[in-house]
Amino acid sequence: MVKHYRPPGKKKEGNAAKYVTRSQALKLLQISLPLFRRLCIFKGITPREPKKKFKGTHHTYYHVKDIAFLHHEPLVEIHRTIRTHEKKIKKAEAKKNLERANKLREQTPKIRLDRIIKERYPRFVDALGELDDCLTTVHLFAALPALESKKIDVESVHRCRRLAHEWQAFLSRTHKLRKTFVSVKGIYYQAQVEGQTITWITPHPLQQVVPDTVDITTMLNFLQFYETLLGFVNFHLYHSINLKYPPILDPRLEALAADLYALSRYVNTSARPSITNSEADHLDGSDEVEVKENEGQTEDEKSKLRLAQLQHQLPSNEPGSLMHLVEDISGEDEEDQDTKECKNLFKNMKFFLSREVPRESLLFVIPAFGGTVSWEGEGAPFGESDQSITHQVVDREVQGHLFFSREYVQPQWIYDCVNARIILPTEDYMVGRIPPPHLSPFVVDNEEEGAYVPDYVKTIKRLQNAARKEVLPLPGVGKEDLGDPQNLLVEGINDRAEANEAAQRKEKMKMLEQQYHDELKKELQGAAYTPMGSNVGEQTCAGEIKTGEESTSNIKQNVEDSANMPLVMMSRRKRKLLEAMQISNERKRAANDLIKQRKKKLEESKR
Amino acid sequence: MKSKMKKDSKFDEEFQKSQQLTVESDSDFGYEDSSQDYGSEDSYASSEFEDGDSSSSGDEDHLGDDNSKDAEAGKGGPSKDEDFTYTGGSLALGVANDQEDGSGDSEIHQGVETDSSEDEVAPRNTIGDVPLKWYEDEPHIGYDVKGKRILKREKQDKLDSFLASADDPSSWRKFYDEVNDEVVELTKEEAKVISKMIKGHAPHSHFDPYPDYVDWFKWDDAIHPLSNAPEPKRRFIPSKWEARKVVRYVRAIRKGLITFDKPKEEDGPYLLWGNDSGSTEKSNHLAYIPAPKPKVPGHEESYNPPLEYIPTQEEINSYQLMDDEDRPKFIPKRFTCLRSIPAYENYVQERFDRCLDLFLCPRVRKKRLHVDPDSLKPKLPSRKDLKPYPMACYIEYKGHEDAVTSISVEASGQWMASGSSDGTVRIWDVPTGRCLRRWEIGEAITCVAWNPLSDMRILAVSAGQDVLMLNAGLGDEEEQKKIRELLYVEPSAPDNSDGKTLSVSWHQDDKHEALKLKHLKTVTAVEWHRKGDYFSSVMPAGESRAVLIHQLSKKFTQMLPYRLHGLAVRSTFHPTRSFFFICTKKTVRVYDLLKKKLIKKLDTGLHEASSIAVHPGGDNLIVGSKEGKMCWFDMDLSSKPYRVLKCHPKDINNVVFHRTYPLFASCSDDSTAYIFHGMVYSDPNQDPLIVPLEILRGHASSNGRGILDCKFHPSLPWLFTAGADKVIKLYCH
Repeated sequence: MVKHYRPPGKKKEGNAAKYVTRSQALKLLQISLPLFRRLCIFKGITPREPKKKFKGTHHTYYHVKDIAFLHHEPLVEIHRTIRTHEKKIKKAEAKKNLERANKLREQTPKIRLDRIIKERYPRFVDALGELDDCLTTVHLFAALPALESKKIDVESVHRCRRLAHEWQAFLSRTHKLRKTFVSVKGIYYQAQVEGQTITWITPHPLQQVVPDTVDITTMLNFLQFYETLLGFVNFHLYHSINLKYPPILDPRLEALAADLYALSRYVNTSARPSITNSEADHLDGSDEVEVKENEGQTEDEKSKLRLAQLQHQLPSNEPGSLMHLVEDISGEDEEDQDTKECKNLFKNMKFFLSREVPRESLLFVIPAFGGTVSWEGEGAPFGESDQSITHQVVDREVQGHLFFSREYVQPQWIYDCVNARIILPTEDYMVGRIPPPHLSPFVVDNEEEGAYVPDYVKTIKRLQNAARKEVLPLPGVGKEDLGDPQNLLVEGINDRAEANEAAQRKEKMKMLEQQYHDELKKELQGAAYTPMGSNVGEQTCAGEIKTGEESTSNIKQNVEDSANMPLVMMSRRKRKLLEAMQISNERKRAANDLIKQRKKKLEESKR
Repeated sequence: MKSKMKKDSKFDEEFQKSQQLTVESDSDFGYEDSSQDYGSEDSYASSEFEDGDSSSSGDEDHLGDDNSKDAEAGKGGPSKDEDFTYTGGSLALGVANDQEDGSGDSEIHQGVETDSSEDEVAPRNTIGDVPLKWYEDEPHIGYDVKGKRILKREKQDKLDSFLASADDPSSWRKFYDEVNDEVVELTKEEAKVISKMIKGHAPHSHFDPYPDYVDWFKWDDAIHPLSNAPEPKRRFIPSKWEARKVVRYVRAIRKGLITFDKPKEEDGPYLLWGNDSGSTEKSNHLAYIPAPKPKVPGHEESYNPPLEYIPTQEEINSYQLMDDEDRPKFIPKRFTCLRSIPAYENYVQERFDRCLDLFLCPRVRKKRLHVDPDSLKPKLPSRKDLKPYPMACYIEYKGHEDAVTSISVEASGQWMASGSSDGTVRIWDVPTGRCLRRWEIGEAITCVAWNPLSDMRILAVSAGQDVLMLNAGLGDEEEQKKIRELLYVEPSAPDNSDGKTLSVSWHQDDKHEALKLKHLKTVTAVEWHRKGDYFSSVMPAGESRAVLIHQLSKKFTQMLPYRLHGLAVRSTFHPTRSFFFICTKKTVRVYDLLKKKLIKKLDTGLHEASSIAVHPGGDNLIVGSKEGKMCWFDMDLSSKPYRVLKCHPKDINNVVFHRTYPLFASCSDDSTAYIFHGMVYSDPNQDPLIVPLEILRGHASSNGRGILDCKFHPSLPWLFTAGADKVIKLYCH
């Protein structure tokens, strides 16, 4: 590499002045590489891509300002003191001075990340916007085994579990969960909190193995940051619904590994009095915590109640707190349409989970959509024999007593209902049957791209339309919906409309094609006839015949030519871009075609 | 135990004078103390044990030595009695000792035949501690007490001994005593003892190494204290030093020198984003780019995807053949129920990869174009508006027997000349396609060019190293005469001129009634000046004389007074002014012929230019190259190309402008010719408009070559193309 001569005393210019390589940065900061990485993870500093890589392409470059930012970071100093402290402890231990060693160990300075979190996410919304990775990591570590060899300690696993459950309990309480998807990799959830869409995955509740290729220290560094972040986020969220944050849980339930239920119980019981005191009094104080405070009350009653409540509190409270209360209530009213829909999806439905279904997931999902749920085991709110249970979720043939008052469904039914936002007919989801395909709710705008749409999407759309047409989508009658002649009629109409649309589209396409071909022909003929008009000579006759022949055979060639003509005029960059686009489009189309082909084959084999 | 120790001491006493082995023996006996003791306690096995002990200790020679010495020394009479009385406690030992002495006595008499294995019994061999090697070759193994030889036993057959040992159940207890040349058999008890000793246990099974401690002293009934000393004073008064220490601590605490550990602060979360004032704060850091969100899964990742998403077994097998990059990372699978989903094995790995991406990948904002690819294409004016231009093949001129390398259209447009690699030049009647005339030059023609004057129908032909001026034989008598005069040259002319400096000699060629200019090197191109008197020839290998300008009327050749940089490819005259363009492989140089200086150097940026054409206006020119690119130069604008058009995949052979219509064309080895609309506006601020109009096909390629030359009709929008497939085509509008 050519090194340009820079006279001594002259400052660096350009990229060399703006960026430093990683090793230069380490030298500047006087820290080790692992610590540098750790700091980068905490501070969210990533390498940059300078326009000119002055030391070669195999180096990592950081911006000088980023490094300066790290240089002023108090964490560097704290890490240094920790290191000297560790040396002291080691010395004390070597001298068998255990007392001093223990004392020193207790005094080891601790890293606090709150300032960094505030720095990285100045607003709460910013933190929510980047919560995806945080949640996924925390959920993963909540499911990992605590391994001495991998430095995953039991405490951190427990902490992760607690944080994850707190988060879920909040979503479940405020009905902010929007989509769920059971994939081969794990269960995806999507929630909408303060306008931010947050998606995360939880692994299936089975043993996860940490492979040797994974550098666990990096993961633990991330985890340390994410744990703190999620703690603060949870605090903020709980604060926003007037709850004390580190929630105190029922130790009995906790011991039974029903943390989530314990949490949600806590959330519900303690949230109610703080928001609406008199309402809670009005309701019976039974242990049925999932019953929502507004349940079974008409709007009129509610407003009356509120009025009474306000009057009741007027003399006793200061105006400030009153205002606060009003705000609270208006806040409740502000619930958007989406939340209401989610809240009422499983309203008045009681679920019972059998042993073999994924309990944690369903305990989270069902209450989030307004359902009441119990499970087999100790500490459950109600037993299997409860007559008011409407649905029992089972994943294998039931050996015990079959209740006729309830429906037995596979767990997929719940996830599908949640995604479709309607109560689907349970027939297909009965035990022992292979359920209809489970579709990803994240594939939304596939229609405009012309991508392949599975059949079941259409079925669900039809059902959704039917449910919307009905004045009141009564839960539990979803099954009869199909048999309803009126509903069938609606379906028919839908079908016909769709068919009409398709036909129209086809016609249009045909028209366009026809037009195009006509134009082409005209052009060719024009080309052939113009020589006639001009005064060239008698010989043109022969030429005309020739061109006529050629024109018929070379239509395709001409079309291609006319399409490629502008390519000549494009700059190389644009041409390459166009080519890349065409290739990617072609690839997409090929994938779609493949699926369609398979579909065709399947249908043929069925016949 | 004590008795044995005593016995040791007795031995010591006995051998102190004679032997200096005392220390050694002492230690030996010390080592064997416990065993001896055991032996003495356990009367029934004592004899056997001691024998076994002596053999197993590995110091048997030594012992034997001692014993023999003992025997030699005779009876230690006086000390024996003492010994006996002292030991007293153990009767058995006394007996043993007694026996020992007794046997010692008896041995003197009985000698060899005693097979007793008692320790005290001396071995029958008396050679002492000498290497047995000395006796290896002797028939005897040593001497007994009486000095008689002890003969070796007969050697047993190994096989027999093995068989015997296999039959004998107690063979594992037998071993061979080399010194005494006999087989010794241990009893079971002895074997047990040995095994215990090997393990490091006490040899005797009844021996208790940890007996209960018996406290012999009893305080119970005692009246008096153990010590009669009075209680010291210090027991009653407080410690002065302690008091001082306490005072020091108190003072230190008061002064704040000693601080106590504060109760731990709970550093749990708090309301970090209390009042969202952070929104107004502006961070003075670099722009932060949030990490892209991970991709959300599609239908195919479902645990129960629609059936059509699952690849067939053949498809999965075909993935194995794929390149690693192309291979799909995720293969959809189907599970019939939720409970049968296994753990996803790559979960942690994928998470880790994501973590790495988060802190190791440089983040760059990229604009993703969500546009229709067709919208990227520039909007071109409609082709219909730009008519007329050649579109379709109208006439084919056939007759050449090899690739047509060059064509030229006469100024009036009535005739067309063509040169081919078969060595012929033909003149065609353009409208009819008839061949009017044909010359056999004999060498492959590289270039043909009509004189641009319409009344001077001279054809310049370059073939090999010659340039021929052919009289086309068209036109009336007067014209013919004029041409003939012009083409006549004195045969002696070349001798008169300065032959050394000039590379060209002018000859009269009688065969074709032509003028012949003989060059030193192969000529590739000939170009006429617009006035028809001057013409230039290019010979790329000519170095400084690569480009020559000839004057026909004076039969005079001159070379350019400039140094050429690079290999000359083509040259051309400016259509209106006295400029001359020389195209080398990478650059185009423009010279003023009158002022004799370089005006401009145009940098094409091409690897190898192949052709050049100047717009009739004179300010624009195009250069075609062998990499299929065409450069349009606006000479007023800059020395860099105004527009580079990449249209042909193969070499461009010729580019040409139309003289009246705003058209230009390029022809290439890919057997296509492109027609462009190239409008140059008189307003200098308006850039030239270039629109591709048509791709002309029809020529077949031969030997990898396509269309070798193309020329426009001088007045009509027609294009002639000469193909390597021996055909000339005329494309009309």
